[in-house]
Amino acid sequence: MSEMNEPEVTVTDVRCAATTRAGTQCKNNAQPGSPYCHMHQTLVEPAGSNGQPEVPEATEPSPPAEDTREELAEELDDLIAELREASPEFTPPPFSPQDIIATLKKSIRHMPPPMQMDILYRMREAVRVDNFDIEAWRGTWFLMNYWNYFQEKAQQSPAGQQAMGALAPYWQKLQGAINEDLLDIDTWKGLWFMVSYSVQYQVDILKRRATGDYYTDEWGLDWEFLDAVRPLLSFFYKYYWRVSTNGMAHIPDAGRAMLVMNHSGQLPFDAAMVLTAVLLEHPSQRLVRHLYGDFVPGLPFLSSAIEKIGGTLAREENGVRLLEQEELVGVFPEGYKGISKLFKDRYRLARFGRGGFVQMALRTQAPIIPAAIVGAEEIYVAIHQSRSLARMAGLPFFSISLRFPWLGLLGVVPLPTRWTIDFGEPIPTDEYGPQAADDPLLVSQMTDQVRNVVQEMIHARLAQRRSPFW
Amino acid sequence: MTTEKVVLITGAAGQWGTRLAKRLVVEDGLGVVALDDQPPSPGLAGLDYLQADFQDPLIGDLLATEAVHTVCHLAFRPSVARSEEAYAHNVQGTARFLAACLAAGVRHVVLMSSTAVYGAHADNPVLLQESHPLRGSRRQGTNRDRLEIEAFVNGFYRQHPEMLVTVLRLANIVGPTADTPMTRYLRSPAGLTLMGFNPLLQLIHEQDVAAALAQAVLAEKGGIYNVAAEPALPLKRLLALAGTLPVPVFHPLAYLNNSIQEQMVFEPDSLRYRWIADTEKMQTELGFFPEKSAEEAVQALRAAKGEPLPAGGYRPDGSRQSANDHSYAMPLDEIMAHRQKARERETTTAAG
Repeated sequence: MSEMNEPEVTVTDVRCAATTRAGTQCKNNAQPGSPYCHMHQTLVEPAGSNGQPEVPEATEPSPPAEDTREELAEELDDLIAELREASPEFTPPPFSPQDIIATLKKSIRHMPPPMQMDILYRMREAVRVDNFDIEAWRGTWFLMNYWNYFQEKAQQSPAGQQAMGALAPYWQKLQGAINEDLLDIDTWKGLWFMVSYSVQYQVDILKRRATGDYYTDEWGLDWEFLDAVRPLLSFFYKYYWRVSTNGMAHIPDAGRAMLVMNHSGQLPFDAAMVLTAVLLEHPSQRLVRHLYGDFVPGLPFLSSAIEKIGGTLAREENGVRLLEQEELVGVFPEGYKGISKLFKDRYRLARFGRGGFVQMALRTQAPIIPAAIVGAEEIYVAIHQSRSLARMAGLPFFSISLRFPWLGLLGVVPLPTRWTIDFGEPIPTDEYGPQAADDPLLVSQMTDQVRNVVQEMIHARLAQRRSPFW
Repeated sequence: MTTEKVVLITGAAGQWGTRLAKRLVVEDGLGVVALDDQPPSPGLAGLDYLQADFQDPLIGDLLATEAVHTVCHLAFRPSVARSEEAYAHNVQGTARFLAACLAAGVRHVVLMSSTAVYGAHADNPVLLQESHPLRGSRRQGTNRDRLEIEAFVNGFYRQHPEMLVTVLRLANIVGPTADTPMTRYLRSPAGLTLMGFNPLLQLIHEQDVAAALAQAVLAEKGGIYNVAAEPALPLKRLLALAGTLPVPVFHPLAYLNNSIQEQMVFEPDSLRYRWIADTEKMQTELGFFPEKSAEEAVQALRAAKGEPLPAGGYRPDGSRQSANDHSYAMPLDEIMAHRQKARERETTTAAG
């Protein structure tokens, strides 16, 4: 604080803005004309940058790594501590979701248009990537309050910057933070913001869709619908069933492949979670095109929803066509025998049908990737299958569980078990040639082989598991 | 005159016959003879028009004396309720007419069918190929008759390979002036749908229907072809594009209640399950590519939504496709004698 009385404050008095590997702020002073010190200047700044705090372009942000997020959060904490020290007379109001939206709405007008666009873009992006980190929001809230406070101070005084005195470096730094770090996806996250701004975004989409301005492919896949349900899917994936996924490297980045999994859970949540797992965690964010049984098209709402997220009927021509289009196809050879499994039969695979999935894979020479889903078989405790109720309701099966139908809708809420999805070593099919699909012996052998692999994977995972719930 | 390929169009006063005749008459090397038992529609002025019934016993003689090469058999009476009169006209009439064509040495017959013959079923594949078994519903007269004709034609062209038969299975036809079940559905202010179901539906623009028929006549390729425009539209998107309000009905009610089914225009299954035809064969073998996309077809219909339709289009009661249910057919022997005289006069004037 020795520069308190100096009329001009140079940028060299600012500490380097970079974060060290230890996660603390760099202790060196910044180089003139740059927010970084001589060490970090070359490391952090991109080549050709003049070092001035620049207005970020509205470019697509890439999802940052977990450690980068932590570093940024710590950096923000440091910054807040310093700001507190520098302006003891100002205390930011307590965090509240409503106020943060109001503050943003007020101050967004003062930002340059590219910056506004960037904020909006990032918020919309946040709806997809969905971060529910309240702590980071608190940090953002403090910074925004300080930002407004400094701006007011600068406007009050005729000498502007000069009157800010010792606060000027922080003002500049804060501007830098607003421009760069604060606008980063990691800092602009939080449920309430996202809800507020995503509502407008969704309303825009709905308005546009009401005029018929949207597109589906020949299968009925609707990417906008998928984007709309993605936060819900990832909520179930991350927080409700806390799914951990192993062996994602076995799924190719591109090209045809077939996932073969165990089916369970009365309702096809397992298919949805496999889709979410590959969509969120696979490097090329592939979409699993599930094949469903022929009882699904007759079910209202479910049929059109599944079709919109890329499902299609399990018929050989459909599967072959999808694989020939180099898609990642998901099959549940147990069919409704698997999904309607009773609790006492959990993790025991039902029969694998007539091996139609093997024929599809052989015909298109697509590798078969066995997968085991553990946890989904315990979301309902089904104790009985009622044939008469199924016939009355026009459904393929009707499960009586410990909670359904006695508790009504409450009985439909699945239990929050902890899930594990394992993707196994791919089983190649290209050594046999496409004619092998008509060889019944090979088809039945491979069906049994895949079934054994999936069953073994389930047993291996169950042996490691301590409890269904944690 | 003799080098011309003579094309005879039955049902020429109907909406498809008129459009096809107008399209073919400008082609080089084609002689177009239009035939219908109704007075010619306004679009047919100046054409060689025979006001006769295709079911006339002397039709074979006419085909032979006119040296007809290609027949486009478009005379068809749509009917919602199954009607014996329409069946006799559509199915038995077509069977007799095809036999007459064969006897008269006609080389090529073009028939118009519908993708509804595949039927909407839960286990339909994503794209129905022409070889897929026909499992269409027989509850409505139109589709029952189409299925019967297809069954007859299937046996016919295997027994008589010397005569080419082309069957075009057309998707739902829409357009500004077309009058079909789909245009009636989309032109109404509100359309019934089944709650929770949003199947894809295929469309074809009315101009492309005539273009496809013309292409079938010109290409002279036998076989069955699905004809539809890209892309298939989800029902809700289709209604939104057409400006029609979707009114969802709980689906078991639609199956039980007949008055709801009458309101729906379509059978409940057609608005529940997928029945999308594969158009690859149309593109690769028939060489036909629709000019208008499905969206353009709906937009054209929407633009003309307030305007009244021309009379004599789609008549769901199985009556003749004309303003009044009468046959104005003249006896074919008189027509043939008249034309013979005219031809003799022409040759004498040419010689003199």
